[in-house]
Amino acid sequence: MMQFSDYIFYFFSSILILASLKVITANNPVYSALSLVLAFFSAAGIWLLLHAEFLAIALVLVYVGAVMVLFLFVVMMLDINLESLKRGFWSYFPFAILIAGVFIVEIYLVVSDKFFLESQIETFGTSKSNTHSIGNILYTDYLLPFQISAVILLVAIISAIALTMSGHKSHKAIDPKDQIKVKRNDRIRIVKMKSEKR
Amino acid sequence: MDYLYWGDDANRLCGVLPLMKNFIMNIVKSLTLHELLRGMGLTLRYFFSKKITIQYPEQKTPQSPRFRGLLALRRYPNGEERCIACKLCEAVCPAMAITIESEQREDNTRRTTRYDIDLTKCIFCGFCEESCPVDSIVETRQFEYHGEERGDLLYTKEMLLEVGKKYEKQIAKDRKQESKFR
Amino acid sequence: MEEFLKQYLDPKFAITFAYLIKIFCIVIPVMISVAYLTYFERRVIGFMQSRIGPNRVGFFGLLQPIADALKLLFKEIILPAKSNNFLFFLAPLLSIAPALAAWAVIPFGFEMVLADINAGLLYVLAMTSIAVYGVIIAGWASNSKYAFLGSLRSAAQIVSYEIAMGFTLVGVLMCANSLNLGEIVMAQQGGISQWYCWPLFPLFIIYFISAVAETNRAPFDVAEGESEIVAGFHVEYSGMAFALFFLAEYANMILVSILAVIMFLGGWMSPFSFIPDGIFWLLVKVAFVLFFFIWFRATFPRYRYDQIMRLGWKVFIPLTLIWIIFIGAMMQTDYAEYFH
Repeated sequence: MMQFSDYIFYFFSSILILASLKVITANNPVYSALSLVLAFFSAAGIWLLLHAEFLAIALVLVYVGAVMVLFLFVVMMLDINLESLKRGFWSYFPFAILIAGVFIVEIYLVVSDKFFLESQIETFGTSKSNTHSIGNILYTDYLLPFQISAVILLVAIISAIALTMSGHKSHKAIDPKDQIKVKRNDRIRIVKMKSEKR
Repeated sequence: MDYLYWGDDANRLCGVLPLMKNFIMNIVKSLTLHELLRGMGLTLRYFFSKKITIQYPEQKTPQSPRFRGLLALRRYPNGEERCIACKLCEAVCPAMAITIESEQREDNTRRTTRYDIDLTKCIFCGFCEESCPVDSIVETRQFEYHGEERGDLLYTKEMLLEVGKKYEKQIAKDRKQESKFR
Repeated sequence: MEEFLKQYLDPKFAITFAYLIKIFCIVIPVMISVAYLTYFERRVIGFMQSRIGPNRVGFFGLLQPIADALKLLFKEIILPAKSNNFLFFLAPLLSIAPALAAWAVIPFGFEMVLADINAGLLYVLAMTSIAVYGVIIAGWASNSKYAFLGSLRSAAQIVSYEIAMGFTLVGVLMCANSLNLGEIVMAQQGGISQWYCWPLFPLFIIYFISAVAETNRAPFDVAEGESEIVAGFHVEYSGMAFALFFLAEYANMILVSILAVIMFLGGWMSPFSFIPDGIFWLLVKVAFVLFFFIWFRATFPRYRYDQIMRLGWKVFIPLTLIWIIFIGAMMQTDYAEYFH
């Protein structure tokens, strides 16, 4: 007998699968991006069913609320030529099948592994708040990886800014400081030349 | 800082100190949101001030005797219409809203047979009133009228005379009051 | 209430039914207050401009919002040519749904909350952050350059101010040691001196200004900017579809005000210990905060777009970070009690 939560699980997962299919099949890139948003949302719903509320909300907050907004931003402004994108479809197809096969095998290996046994999922107790336990682990057992990833992110941010800001000035305004320093010789060049005959 | 006069030490100090003070004051002002708070104080003062709204159908703004509202044709006190069909108003009308046709009556005076004003064209400039040698076409204080169809606002001679008859008292009073300025 | 319903109904059904009734008890007052917030706004702005505002429909104009709602209901919804029909109608729904969904975790009094979840604060933040989709999709689906410009502006603005807003919330949860909104209020027990607006004063101000920006209200209303881009993202909307955007904007406004009250002004706690607590205090404080929203709109001219971005990224985010580090440092000293 199925429980009510099972129905919700199947509901969310069917939406998730349909939306992910739509991401790769939709003709309009904006539809693809919006389907990806829907996919994230249903994934968050499934995580909520597993009592992973922090992860679910963080997914919505970070991916749906910020990353996908910028994504949409770009996709809406780009004028993408779909014809040229679809041109090489059949020539790449066998290669894609190969990669898909590798993927399926990998997923099978991971899912059938004892790492995902049901008893181990339950060990993260529901007595304490989800956020609390994640924070506890992040700042004790995994402190060093956590800090290293933070530093990597910082480097990424700075390099992104450096890449965009380097080279040209960001504004066209003229600095009055430079203007008053100007000497006559900076602006005027006197050329001596012989007068030409008429 | 480059525009400063970098002369002797005393002069240098005189230049730098006020600038430093200004710099610090600007930081303090922007961090305490000083200007924003002052603006909010202003609006709050107006929040409690007296309201100047005129609630129209009940209250009305005072009207000048020169108010330019609905047009009217006047008659002399003996009942004779003033208009002599000189067509000055028709000529001067910048919107070309006036149409006049005239003929000679049996007593050899010239009178209009047709005097139409299209109020949808009229811009209420008052030139017709100014040009009229006999004070026949006038603008009344009336502004609350309407037409439900386009044709309703095409005023014929009869309608204009009717308006004149209705508001003659007010019109005569206003003309008398303004007579010394004309 | 569940016990009462169980006498008459199947117990499983009774729980669902009780939740439905609770949802109605939240949504209907929210909708009514949204309607009267528009009336309040028009009256207050009128007063600040030496006018009296709407006073014709009903006693003191109190039926004006109802008249407006009826007018919008009966108006025709016009589809722009070459617009994307499905997304065009989806957009208003996407903007109103998160605005209402976020109310689920708002505590109105002691244990007066629909869903008492642990990560309540995060949930509210997530819900307010997905409200931007309504705006973006509306702008794109309308097939109008003004709408598109408005939606781009709004997207960039909401994404940048969300960061500053999130950081201010970090300060609050450092003080309260909890993400649960009810527990945050309970941590501010004991009169006006215990409210978080004192130790977190800069964060309070920044939260408030970011909240104004996040809800696209004046002086940060570049997304609508009627003098620049007509009406921004909802320029092509009419009738009930427009009304939904309107409802969402005002519901969001009330939501961020109630959040400000819960996190910084002690929620339903009374300011003085000798007066009892209660929902009354919450309503009074929310009305007070909302008055500020309207006051801002009546006072300040619209920010220029690049200035908005500068304020968000170069002023607010560094300031909040500095204050969070300051609080963290102070919590390790003898003065820690002032920050809890």
